[in-house]
Amino acid sequence: MTHYSEDDLTLYYYGEGRARAAIERHLDACGECRSLYREIAGTLAMIAAPEAPERGDQYGLEVWQRIRHKLPEQDAPWWTTLFRVDRLTLAAAAAMLVVAAFVAGRVWPRVPAAPGVARTTAGSAGSTAAADVRQRILLTSVADHLDRSERVLTDIMNAPDRGDISTEKQWADDLLTTGRLYRQDAIDAGEQSVAAVLDDLERSLLEIVHSPSEVRAADLEQIRRRIDAAALLFKVRVMSDELRQREAAPGAAQPRSSTRKTG
Amino acid sequence: MDATEAAAVLARARQGDSDAFRALVERHSRSVFRLAFRMTGNEQDAEDVVQESFLRAYRQLGRFESRANFGTWLYRIVANCSVDLMRAKQARHDQARGDSLDEAMELPAADAPGPERMAQSAEIQRRVQAALQALSPLERAAFTLRHYEGRSIDEISSALGLGTSAAKHSVFRAVKKLRAALAPLRSQES
Repeated sequence: MTHYSEDDLTLYYYGEGRARAAIERHLDACGECRSLYREIAGTLAMIAAPEAPERGDQYGLEVWQRIRHKLPEQDAPWWTTLFRVDRLTLAAAAAMLVVAAFVAGRVWPRVPAAPGVARTTAGSAGSTAAADVRQRILLTSVADHLDRSERVLTDIMNAPDRGDISTEKQWADDLLTTGRLYRQDAIDAGEQSVAAVLDDLERSLLEIVHSPSEVRAADLEQIRRRIDAAALLFKVRVMSDELRQREAAPGAAQPRSSTRKTG
Repeated sequence: MDATEAAAVLARARQGDSDAFRALVERHSRSVFRLAFRMTGNEQDAEDVVQESFLRAYRQLGRFESRANFGTWLYRIVANCSVDLMRAKQARHDQARGDSLDEAMELPAADAPGPERMAQSAEIQRRVQAALQALSPLERAAFTLRHYEGRSIDEISSALGLGTSAAKHSVFRAVKKLRAALAPLRSQES
């Protein structure tokens, strides 16, 4: 006679498992299995659900009061991840365009200026306008880059203490590449304060990229401390706002002699 | 709150409306606490799980599929928060855990009342609690969901993000350990 295992009988006790009718017949016929089943059932019957302490009608409100000031930012809906790669590709393409525009502007053969004050003035005006356009492209691209970086940093600041940060790592890695290009462009364009923020940002993104995907609480804490210590989220937000304002203000795209202090 | 109203509140909460989320917190807090208490066996831990579960739920609301049942989704978050909390505690008190297992298995059986009274006694509950505390977080969670909450193995597997086989074996291991820990009581009874 084949006997049933303790596991089979446990499932049977809980009303699960296959061949329940066969087990039932077997238990009628087999004293050994019946005895084992009684022992399992007897033990499990001893384990009554603990009575949870009563919570009053106001309990929900109490819980709300405890958490209302701690609410984190919400994750983006799952479907936005489908577009994430495309957005990053676009960002990289935009960065490449900016670089190409700068390089082309430098190597393109210039038409020698003809004598005459009027023509010189017109050429100078055209050159200033082209520089202004290039500058605006840079401001827009960097502001977008800062916004995306802010979201990665916010994700890291709010991530659970243990867990998978592979998505954030991938995102940071993509941002790192474009960020380096923007930093170089900012230096070339005389945007020293923008370059400084991008430099700070690059260090934190590098740290995220080099963290393990299954990050330990201690590693995460270290990344967060560095982000906090550099006031990086604050700097990124302030710089992004400033660049957006400059984009919108006519004639304000050119580098400022003194940009807002960001820390 | 009827189903249509509940769906509207949930939709607003998903868009970041904190008043709508407050309504969800007020509605579900007591059931979340009850489950958290059963999972952790400790009032303070249960309160921590309640708080962490709602914060986690708020953060992940964007991932919640509106066709799913919010209560079931929240239930999974509570189960996982409980496991996380128990794991964190276990890491801090590994030694104590070993001691409590020994204690649960070695408690003297003398001077105990008769079987009928024992079933109701504080002594038996104390032993049961000690035995439950000695389980691994996953075993305890799986056992709680199966034994107290009446969840099927498939539901446990889904709630804890385990394969069916892993969920089943977590329950089996828990039952084996509990049988060993409570055997002295059974032998008295027989």
